[in-house]
Amino acid sequence: MILLRLLTMPYVRKHKLRTVLTIAGIALGVVIFVGMRTANDSVMYGFQQTVDRLAGKTHLQVSAGETGFPEEVLEKVQAVAEVDVAVPVIEAIVQTGIAGQGNLLLLGVDMTGDRSLREYDFEAGEEAVIDDPLVFLAQPDSIMITRDFATQNKLSTGDKLKLETIAGPKQFTIRGIMKPGGMASAFGGNLAVMDIYAAQFIFGRGRSFDRIDLTIKPDYTLEQGRLALEKALGGGLQVDSPSSRGKQFESIASIFSVGASLNSLFALLIGLFIIYNTFSIAVTQRRSEIGVLRSLGATRGQIRTLFLMESAALGLVGSLTGIFFGLLLARGMAQYLSSFFGELYGVTQRVEEISADPRVLGLAMFVGVFMSMLAAWVPARAASEVDPVKALHKGAYESFSDHESRMRLWAALTMCAVAAACWFGGGSRGVPLYAGYLSVIVAAVLLTPAAVRSLVAALRPFLRWVLPVEGALAADSLMQAPRRTSATVGAVMLSLSLVIGLGGVSTASYVSLIDWMNNVLNPDLFVGTSEQIAERSYRFPASFGDEIRKMDVVSEVQNVRTARVQFKGVPVMVVATDIAAVGRRVKPKVVAGERLEMNRLSAEGKGVILADNVALMTRTKLGDIVEIPSPGGIIRLPVVGVTIDYSDQKGAILMDRKVFIQYWQDDSVNLFRVYLKKGVGPEEGKKAVLQRFGGERKLFVMTNQQLRDYALKVTDQFFGLTYMQIFVAVLVAILGIVNSLTVSITDRRRELGVLQAVGGLRRQVRQAVWMEALSIGLVSVILGLALGAVMLFYYLGIIREEVAGIRLDYTYPVKIALILIPTMMAVALSAALGPAESAVRSSLVEALEYE
Amino acid sequence: MSRVAVLLFASVGAVCAQDARQVMNEVQNRSKSNSQRYEGWLKVIDNKSKISEKRWTYDRLGSAGESKVVLRFTAPAEVKGVALLIVNHPERASDQWMWTPSLQRDRRIAFQDRSTRFFGTDFSFEDLEERDVNQYDYKMLGEEAVGGAPCWKIESRAKKTKSSQYSHVHLWVDKARYVFLRIESFKGDTLIRRIHYSDYQKIQNIWTPLSLEVEDVARKSKTVLKTEKLEYNVAMKEEMFTLQALRRE
Repeated sequence: MILLRLLTMPYVRKHKLRTVLTIAGIALGVVIFVGMRTANDSVMYGFQQTVDRLAGKTHLQVSAGETGFPEEVLEKVQAVAEVDVAVPVIEAIVQTGIAGQGNLLLLGVDMTGDRSLREYDFEAGEEAVIDDPLVFLAQPDSIMITRDFATQNKLSTGDKLKLETIAGPKQFTIRGIMKPGGMASAFGGNLAVMDIYAAQFIFGRGRSFDRIDLTIKPDYTLEQGRLALEKALGGGLQVDSPSSRGKQFESIASIFSVGASLNSLFALLIGLFIIYNTFSIAVTQRRSEIGVLRSLGATRGQIRTLFLMESAALGLVGSLTGIFFGLLLARGMAQYLSSFFGELYGVTQRVEEISADPRVLGLAMFVGVFMSMLAAWVPARAASEVDPVKALHKGAYESFSDHESRMRLWAALTMCAVAAACWFGGGSRGVPLYAGYLSVIVAAVLLTPAAVRSLVAALRPFLRWVLPVEGALAADSLMQAPRRTSATVGAVMLSLSLVIGLGGVSTASYVSLIDWMNNVLNPDLFVGTSEQIAERSYRFPASFGDEIRKMDVVSEVQNVRTARVQFKGVPVMVVATDIAAVGRRVKPKVVAGERLEMNRLSAEGKGVILADNVALMTRTKLGDIVEIPSPGGIIRLPVVGVTIDYSDQKGAILMDRKVFIQYWQDDSVNLFRVYLKKGVGPEEGKKAVLQRFGGERKLFVMTNQQLRDYALKVTDQFFGLTYMQIFVAVLVAILGIVNSLTVSITDRRRELGVLQAVGGLRRQVRQAVWMEALSIGLVSVILGLALGAVMLFYYLGIIREEVAGIRLDYTYPVKIALILIPTMMAVALSAALGPAESAVRSSLVEALEYE
Repeated sequence: MSRVAVLLFASVGAVCAQDARQVMNEVQNRSKSNSQRYEGWLKVIDNKSKISEKRWTYDRLGSAGESKVVLRFTAPAEVKGVALLIVNHPERASDQWMWTPSLQRDRRIAFQDRSTRFFGTDFSFEDLEERDVNQYDYKMLGEEAVGGAPCWKIESRAKKTKSSQYSHVHLWVDKARYVFLRIESFKGDTLIRRIHYSDYQKIQNIWTPLSLEVEDVARKSKTVLKTEKLEYNVAMKEEMFTLQALRRE
């Protein structure tokens, strides 16, 4: 503590800016880590909380993925001896159309039995609504809302509420207001309850239920109940606890979560470099003080502990700052993520509160402090090993010794060998893939000082050519202090490599997506139930397709039904359509099988076509017999083809519509693919469809171009991470370069003072600092773009083999690279403005007296 | 045996049995009819004296736990046309379906918690089930007058094979007419419901209460049921008691 007070506090007081930058480095990593994790967790937590609040006393739920199942299943469930109470449920999201209110979670229940499972706590005087379900049930416009929703919208019992139904907008009568809390707080209080049969009508569900909630008799265990139900229902229906719905949602959104985790971990890694940089500099600058202390009897352990304690303290402050701003970031991101998940996965969630998981915050705190101490470990060890005699030799320590350089080179080569061994020996998935990825990063970090020295040496003639004196000064400064420079360059390099990696993934995704859209999405119009194409709450009756078909402007209509089911533990999308008709119009890219044959077989109901990513993720090959759960039992059909398909991020199983109708007993439709007659323009066709049906049905018509734009917009949102990472890279660059230059200028105060004393102009000093910053920026960009090329290779592998099964071509993101170069140069230059001014404005006398 | 049904439609006969089970058998026998039709009028008075009313027509075919019932609501306007089909079984809970004309849908009523109140009245669904006397054990508790009429006070408990929300029920049977005058249902020592029967008239040789009042002791609410135009042994066809028939009318 004495050393901390004697050595650290004066240093901190003297270098306030650098201390702040160091804390900012830690905080930056923690902000991203906490912000992204908490936002993601909050959406998941919001979903789980809604599930829990709606579940009431429910022990188990019977479902068929999200497809629903015929009403008759209810009687089968109720007949199971172990079942106590079983009630049907329809759950869907509706747009309120009320400004600022967004979505309303609508629960369709059977009031005659539902109260056995759920607590409907009504406001005084309105108990008759629930106690006399006859009135409620007899009038299909009956709806109950929560007190929160009623208050926000100035609604009361007897008032009308307009909701979208499949048959167009309809007025509902509020016949009950639920007290706040418990079930009424589900979905942030934006909850409405109505009769299940009215809900069937509203959402076009025919005679099907979404799920059955049930309790098991006290004499039986849940497992006994589950087994009895599975036996009674066959394998096509899932019997799970309510909490498993949360897990399914997590599984659906896993690709995004993996990206968020990767991003946040990388941010922490970059923070580590900033801290390393700062402490390396601190050790360098305080070598003389350390030498004095060592001469006075301070032990090596004390010196090491001093630096580690210093880093722990900074880590603590940085972590706390990061947690605070991370939670603020999460608050802003959570709502965005929530609506984004709705667009991407068709699973809308309302996030009312931030779920600050103490474990995440604790982990962030631990990681922040640990990273800080880890980053300071090498400088601390170096500080403890300072030879008191050599301590006053300024600058000697800023370069690497030959031994250290050799060790670094050998270690880097070993890491490269490990990466190669992982790739060629261990295969391209699982642990070897990640081990190879980490080995490449470590190798790059180890090679950074050597690469910086070589690149700066190569740049020196160019710098001299641009500005002879200033250029030479800048290059020499960088070459003389590789330790100072390489940490900054390393941090920026890593950050940029992530941008290139993610940018490459997004570029390749766009290329593949556009290619797929050109091959498959060729109808003139798409008629759906919502502007969110992934939304599946509402469904059309099949007969509506016939009505569209009769229109003069229409040439052909193809019915499409999509629904998510569990296949080999993956929540994939079943796409049921008239394959013969679709096959005549589209030519998807075939990965396995023959196009005409796969169309023929699947159209005859003799097989299914798998999206390539499903095949990859579930290790399913052409000819394999797949088992798809359905309410009518397990469908066992061979895989007759594998094609590239991006209908859903988790992958799609394409089957003929008649197979779906046979097993699901459901002929409703999500989407109509409409081909117009020759000479009819898409806008003209859209207008005709809307004029004909707009007033009587809830429908949304997109032209081909609009659907493509929509798909690209959602993809843009998904890759929003890339843009966030660019922002992080910019921040890292600013922090690192300002830090490096500040130290560089401090170290060279005497040198710069002498330069001015012998006639050097302030302009020259300023430009020398600028050149140094631009050099750091350029070297960082060169190394970052190069490492990014390798990172992209690994990211594509991780996406293909571990995350999504999507086979993306390697396409270097040239455009992003071209944007990064001037951006980073501008950032470097702007980061140098402050330090440069500080250099030219310092007192010449003080500068000459320095040291 | 449905307590309500028995109490509504019990007939009187001269039987001298003193044994509790014999008394109960006689109550069931004297109330027996092959079919029944009436118009019902029901008034629910809640604990804040708020009153709601409903009217319906009632048709029953069969008796003693194996009957079928169609109940059609005629008032108020918001429930008019809603119909219930109840199929009673001797050994298990009844099956019930509801027809909602505004939706043009029938539904199987999902109640499985038999203590649930019957559509806002003070009856529970269990109270409305037809049960055979053999599903209960009886014990003669003594004699006690109700409204000046001498009665046997009998305790009934559901047999172990039969589940019930009540632990036991006290029945007051009029000695002269073999009809119920009062029923009190308990959960442990707590009185849950009390039913009073009144306005007995002999219709087609069956003593029938034209009015009864159910009191939910905990909720402090009561339901008054009155019957009009009551007939027994009316000619009815089985086809009237099907889902198709429910949808037709």
